[in-house]
Amino acid sequence: MSELRLRCIDLKKHYERGPQTVRALDGVDLDLRAGEMLALVGSSGSGKSTLLNLAAGLDSPSGGRVEVGGRALGSMSPRELAAYRAERVGMIFQSFNLIGHYSALENVALALAFNGTPRAGRGEIAARQLAALGLDARADHRPADLSGGEQQRVAIARALVTGPDLLFADEPTGNLDQENSEQIAELLATLCVEGRSVLMTTHDLELAERYAHRILHLSYGRIDDERELPKNRRSS
Amino acid sequence: MSFRDLLLIALGNLRRQKLRSLLTISGVIIAIGAFVAMLSFGAGNQRMISDQFDELGLFTTMLVYPASESGDSLSLDEKAVLRLADIRGVRLAYPYDRFKVNVVWGDSAIGVDAQALSAGALETKYYSRLEAGERIGDEAGSVLVSDELLDGLGVADADSFIGQRIAVSVKSASIDSALVRLFSDPDGNLRKRLASLEVDSLLEDGYVERILRRELDAATRRFLDGYLNAQALTVDTLEVRGVIRSHGSRRNRVLPVILPLSTARRFDAAGPSADPTELLPRIMKGEIFTKASSMSKAFPQVTLDLHPYASHSVVADSVEAMGFESFSYASEFEEIRRVMLFFNMGLGLVGLVALVTAALGIANTMVMSILERRREIGILRSLGAQARDIRGLFLVESGAIGALGSMGGILLGWIVARVASGVAKAVMRNQDVEVMELFATPFWLVGIAMAFGVLVAVLAGTYPAGRAARVDPVEALRQE
Repeated sequence: MSELRLRCIDLKKHYERGPQTVRALDGVDLDLRAGEMLALVGSSGSGKSTLLNLAAGLDSPSGGRVEVGGRALGSMSPRELAAYRAERVGMIFQSFNLIGHYSALENVALALAFNGTPRAGRGEIAARQLAALGLDARADHRPADLSGGEQQRVAIARALVTGPDLLFADEPTGNLDQENSEQIAELLATLCVEGRSVLMTTHDLELAERYAHRILHLSYGRIDDERELPKNRRSS
Repeated sequence: MSFRDLLLIALGNLRRQKLRSLLTISGVIIAIGAFVAMLSFGAGNQRMISDQFDELGLFTTMLVYPASESGDSLSLDEKAVLRLADIRGVRLAYPYDRFKVNVVWGDSAIGVDAQALSAGALETKYYSRLEAGERIGDEAGSVLVSDELLDGLGVADADSFIGQRIAVSVKSASIDSALVRLFSDPDGNLRKRLASLEVDSLLEDGYVERILRRELDAATRRFLDGYLNAQALTVDTLEVRGVIRSHGSRRNRVLPVILPLSTARRFDAAGPSADPTELLPRIMKGEIFTKASSMSKAFPQVTLDLHPYASHSVVADSVEAMGFESFSYASEFEEIRRVMLFFNMGLGLVGLVALVTAALGIANTMVMSILERRREIGILRSLGAQARDIRGLFLVESGAIGALGSMGGILLGWIVARVASGVAKAVMRNQDVEVMELFATPFWLVGIAMAFGVLVAVLAGTYPAGRAARVDPVEALRQE
């Protein structure tokens, strides 16, 4: 069995909204192993994005814990949490979240500002990453000049450029057409073959069934179904 | 995230929002410009005073006076001058010997004050501000005059007066003529007065006393008439070697005629001054009939020229221990500096008010910037930025506004100061006043303006930066 990368234990996130308590996550347990793609499916408001934000350390849980390499994120200092996101995590969003006034190259290079990469080498590393995703001709373009698929590939390049072993993708194909969605999903699957772990939320069950190794179904903050898909496991 | 990364991102953001940045920076430029221009005026005045003190050697000058507290104070005579010169830290001690002379040049004659100075005193900075000619030593036959004398004689060109010969004369009281008149009977009516004595009345109360009073009054009038109006005249023809610029205060004024000590001694030896105001002290001292050469001459004040590193307080203590009072220009300069400090603070306050207004502009710009860049903040946090990086980013951005504004403001302030200085000089020339530099922008002022501008801008950015650091990254990333 491959190395355990991330573990969520009895993870809870409750919000107070006026007199009501919203249970966005209500006791979730999951493991994510090296080279594994785990798809979180469920209706809107089921807690998929909340789980991703907690796993990335952007949000703190109301109960339970997230462990990375045996250490709880809750025990980390702000500096350690920032370093965790800068060095071990790559995040991909449905709306790409690229900085509009930066070029594709600058967006990718920006991620290197937080992991200690010397400024002089950042451009070259970012250019290599863009080239690896077939975007070398688009390096100087701003996000507004790129198609949705290209923007998402720039976002993936930014997520990958620091060499993280955990990728958190929140509806990565949500704003893309079928062809681009297939390409992005294929790309994420390839990254798993290279040893990276992907935790992805999606509404597209068909896509999840084609590429994920496991599918977790979330409903009202709880996992109510889990499916293994061994046919999708490919050796590197 | 390194400071350089923060700075480059901050400058990039300012560049992107050109108009808003320019308007905000303009506020800082105007505020710092006002601050620099105002303080340049204060600094210029302080420098002008300091330069004048330095030019005249006042930082190393101390004046000594007889103690004013006790009635029978020690007099500042030649012996006292020698003792003062022996004080540790004193380079030279010379008396302020002032007397009245009459100057005749061509058809012009004028009565002015003169002072006698030793060769050492003539070499001090205090007597170095020449308008024409050269400084003199103790050579006989030479004289230094001030532009005040030239004004009195109606001479416009100081250079043309160099080499001219002037007759300097001193009137001294003649004791002989006073005594002659005392015992003479110029009216010739002594006989008449004696004849008018009423022998029968001699035994009446008060008659003899009245007669004696009348005779004493008449004798005193005759003595004073002889003393004051039958004066001896001592004349010396001297060559003008230099024209000195008039300056000094009530305490230590450069007088119209400055004589070397050797020349002045000739006038001194002639006898006591016939100045009526000097007569009474002489009568009080019982020196009215004493020969001038045997009198112990007392000076109203003595000037001490100190070594540059001598402690003024130590010298002042020594002077006080000798029973005299002292006045130090350096101490007075400290007082002036204290006053100037308040003056500068008042001027700076005007600039500060403008700077506070500019700070509000910076805070407004930064708050607007946060509202527009919430998603960017969320992205940076997801990439590994800490809350303190976000705070740092906004502080650096406001600091950059302050730095750019300060640079522009310093330039603006300098230009305003130069223009104001030019106008002031033109007015001085028109008014025929000595042209002075009233504005100065020293490096310390540039440094303070720069530091102040950046500091106020960073303080103005503190609240927005704190707000930016508290932005919830999850909420920010959810924003479309």
